[in-house]
Amino acid sequence: MNKPIGTEAQNLARGAARYPGAPSTQEIIASDRVKAPGWVCSESYEFLGDEDISTDRYTEAAYAEREFERLWTRTWQFACREEHIPEVGDYHVYDIGRHSFIVTRVAANEVRAYYNACLHRGTKLRASGTEGNTTEFKCSFHGWSWNLDGSQKELLCPWDFPHVDIATNKLPQVRVELLGGFVFINMDPDAPTLADYIGPAAMAHIREWKLEDRYIYCHVAKRLPANWKLSIAAFMEAYHVLDTHPQVSVTNADANSQYDVYGEHVNRFISPLGVLSPHHYGKYTEQDIMDQFTLGDSSALGDATRTLPEGGTARQAMADMFRGMFEKATNTDLGGVSDAELLDCFSYTLFPNIFLFPGISLPMVYRFRPDPRDHRWTLYEVLFLRPVPLDGKRPYPAEPVRLTDEQSFTEAEGMDPGFGAILDQDTDNLILQQEGIEASAKRGLTLGNYQEIRIRHFERAVDRYVGTKG
Amino acid sequence: MSGEFTRFCKVSELPPESKKAAKLNNTWVLVCHTDGRLFAVSGVCSHQVKPLVNGRVRHCMITCPVHGARFNLETGAALNLPATQPIATYELRVVDDWIEVRV
Repeated sequence: MNKPIGTEAQNLARGAARYPGAPSTQEIIASDRVKAPGWVCSESYEFLGDEDISTDRYTEAAYAEREFERLWTRTWQFACREEHIPEVGDYHVYDIGRHSFIVTRVAANEVRAYYNACLHRGTKLRASGTEGNTTEFKCSFHGWSWNLDGSQKELLCPWDFPHVDIATNKLPQVRVELLGGFVFINMDPDAPTLADYIGPAAMAHIREWKLEDRYIYCHVAKRLPANWKLSIAAFMEAYHVLDTHPQVSVTNADANSQYDVYGEHVNRFISPLGVLSPHHYGKYTEQDIMDQFTLGDSSALGDATRTLPEGGTARQAMADMFRGMFEKATNTDLGGVSDAELLDCFSYTLFPNIFLFPGISLPMVYRFRPDPRDHRWTLYEVLFLRPVPLDGKRPYPAEPVRLTDEQSFTEAEGMDPGFGAILDQDTDNLILQQEGIEASAKRGLTLGNYQEIRIRHFERAVDRYVGTKG
Repeated sequence: MSGEFTRFCKVSELPPESKKAAKLNNTWVLVCHTDGRLFAVSGVCSHQVKPLVNGRVRHCMITCPVHGARFNLETGAALNLPATQPIATYELRVVDDWIEVRV
């Protein structure tokens, strides 16, 4: 069935061709026993051109500088989860490049973000990468301090600072909005609201997920050896699964995954699992698919025997099995969750740098930030979310497990080793891609019209913020 | 040099997820009851000698509320700036419903 796209595909409108002879993602999901909600059962593809993507954006330090000036200062960014700062006085430090912010809960229903620098001689009020609880933000250098609400509390030797008005010397703030348990910040006072930035269609999806009712049960951080945009793009398509992740491709509708774009800042793919890749048609049985199924959160399954009912499909059997065992293992109720939400990979990108995966077996959040010391490296984090237990006691969010550059993701405590192996394979590609782009005679990347639309959509947004040279 | 075990407080005075500071043998000691375990550490931060008793405890770490230094409750290790030096940790035992600390 792995036949090359022929002239019939070339006669279609650009971007309209799909893998010949394979069911669509929507057709696969429509066969499930527990039906999927509306946000799953929709399509929003748009052809956005087929020109090459210029590669100076990945290789030039000057481009990274422009990104810091024009992109990171104007976009909504996930700074922390609300669960990091549940109590008044809790704070969490978020850094992007040289920028640093103290995100703090100043009242039960109010979160603020302050520039993390003393207004005296500039010392950071809290070290980067930290969190805690306090009643004041006090500089460790000369003791100038500010209340949670940003008003100045104390100034040592005020007689020497008649030119400083304590009443007005408040900590400067950036904008904060809360959505789905995430705290977003934006440095641009003129930026659209978060809802306008995301757009109504994608906002409706996010609100349905109720990610505010989940908690971080595993958090892993590691540097990736490529520019942050290459790192992000590596996770935007299932086109690479066949060659990069052969252990997964048997159980993944990789070539018939669905790709959608929403407005300027959100895109997604739906990659069904528990079905044979079109690349492998005729080579594997349903039992093979059952046996080889990899889950991002497989801990609930343990060593359970994977038995395929007579005449059943691996997809339905895995959905039924995973539903029951996951509920029992985590004390949660998945009664209202469709089979697709249980099994499939729903990958959403919120520009510029986070992925949300609202599924249950693949329940991740990715965050990618440029390493401010080297534009050829990315600060990458993966957070795994689980529903809060039925007894209502919300566990503390997991502390980040920080891996060195040399460590394998399979060494990360709390993360499924099979998932870690996949991330290692992606990492290995990124080293070669960054170096290859720098070595290449060709100064552009060529993208597929459908399967790589998310990358084009993403880079188009980058272009819009960063602009042309100068 | 470690001294003798000294009574710190009754076990019932330190419910789960609570902490208490007291002076034992002229040393400020902080005992934390967290994640089902009891830890005895110095009651003052190694950074600027501020009291740790109001610090947030999570995942076997305490955060100094004044400048944000964090310490591992088990080892005393300083985990981030502005602290670079550890805090002392002390042996702890429970005898006849009393928490005892060797200082």
